[in-house]
Amino acid sequence: MESGSTLSNSPSAPLLTVQIEHWLGAMPLDANFSLTQPWTVLFGPSGSGKTTILRSIAGFVRPDSGRIVSRTQVLFDSATKVFVPAHRRPVRCAGQTARLFPHMSVRRNLVYGSGWTSKPADAMGIAEELMVSFGLKEFADRMPDQLSGGEQRRALVARAVIAAITFDGGPEKPLLLLDEPFSGLDIAARDELLVELGAWLARWNIPALSVTHDLGEAFQLNAEVIKIAEGRVVQQGPVAAVLAEERKRLLEQLNVSKGSPA
Amino acid sequence: MDFGALWLTLRLAVGTTAILLVVALPLAWWIASGRGAGRALVQAVVALPLVLPPTVLGFYLLIALGPLSAPGRLLIKIVGHPLAFSFAGLLVGSVIYSLPFAVQPLVAGFSAVDRGYVEASEGLGVSPWGTFWSVVLPLARGSLLTSTVLTFTHTVGEFGVVLMLGGNIPGATQTLSIALYDQVQEFNYAAANRTALVLVVFAIVALLTIYLLPGVSKADGKRVDVVQ
Repeated sequence: MESGSTLSNSPSAPLLTVQIEHWLGAMPLDANFSLTQPWTVLFGPSGSGKTTILRSIAGFVRPDSGRIVSRTQVLFDSATKVFVPAHRRPVRCAGQTARLFPHMSVRRNLVYGSGWTSKPADAMGIAEELMVSFGLKEFADRMPDQLSGGEQRRALVARAVIAAITFDGGPEKPLLLLDEPFSGLDIAARDELLVELGAWLARWNIPALSVTHDLGEAFQLNAEVIKIAEGRVVQQGPVAAVLAEERKRLLEQLNVSKGSPA
Repeated sequence: MDFGALWLTLRLAVGTTAILLVVALPLAWWIASGRGAGRALVQAVVALPLVLPPTVLGFYLLIALGPLSAPGRLLIKIVGHPLAFSFAGLLVGSVIYSLPFAVQPLVAGFSAVDRGYVEASEGLGVSPWGTFWSVVLPLARGSLLTSTVLTFTHTVGEFGVVLMLGGNIPGATQTLSIALYDQVQEFNYAAANRTALVLVVFAIVALLTIYLLPGVSKADGKRVDVVQ
């Protein structure tokens, strides 16, 4: 994906700046990074604090101390006691566990977020188009409990994308937060959806921050990677540079298992 | 059959239920989503009518709404007549007495709604108010019906508060349950039988509504999880 220079026209104001400290049980979380690329991936093992970072940005977790700034808007600042509530932040989220509203059809779920904006009618058209490219068209009128896990995840991501597209809280599109967006999907379906999603985000100039512990997903995105371990940022940069070591290890494992089929 | 008492009882029950729905929805949502000492205190006050003898509550309300207290005198000035021994007074007493029956099912229903749905909604930019109406309330609709029916039937069956606060004025403050008491006092068992039967039918229809209405007994707001 091309790095969209239109996203942040002044290099002095990154998309998002995070400097937070937070106690996660017995582990101190100390995250310090800025987003400058249209798509950034938080990569790290389970329990490394990725989800807490994402939830802090979304406004569902109030960090013990620090600052979160979106472009020029302060979302959280412990020093000045600023805490913008989740629904007023320029972010749109798809959480880790599918939370499609069980009392609404897939189509109504998809346009849910846009119902409170100035352009709910636009959302219907966008939803139809998005359902086609996400392979959800035939499920449009079904209820969430009639969908498989993978279909629910597609709908969940699609819902957040539509909410981001129809965002009318400012001139810039909001940051899309995706927590393990395609976990549970098989690799072929995941890669296909990543391509579709990437195209949609590029078309609408929507920046994204996603969380994954899946190496293949990170490489597929070819995005900026922030490596997290034990609550700290270890490294940040292009995926090929940051995750070279992990990739080498994975390939070695694959070769070993190829050499001695179990 | 005392149709005056029946009509009065129905008016009282409908009025009480309507007022309590407006009061109980935000109150229950606040209790279900809040925390801290203030919440415990409010819960205790809401539950008080469950444990207090109705006559105690009725007695205090009689004093508070009558000319002996400052708020009572103010009310008399505003309304133009004493609230005690009037329909409006009965309404006030009923609302307070049935408060726990309206609030507690809603608190249980709202608490059972997975927080993940609330976060999902707010994460799409929808305000807490919008989230309450389009996500929380539909997912807790079973408890909304329970709350409505319980409030209605509990008001229909009220005795102590109504007697203390309303006196026993036929046509003005004499409800079915009090008419029944009068009929028994007068050894008019045939009339008492009819009145009691009406009250029993009310109760059975109400309970059947709760248990039979499709989709209501089903647990609402179940999590639809992909990652278990």
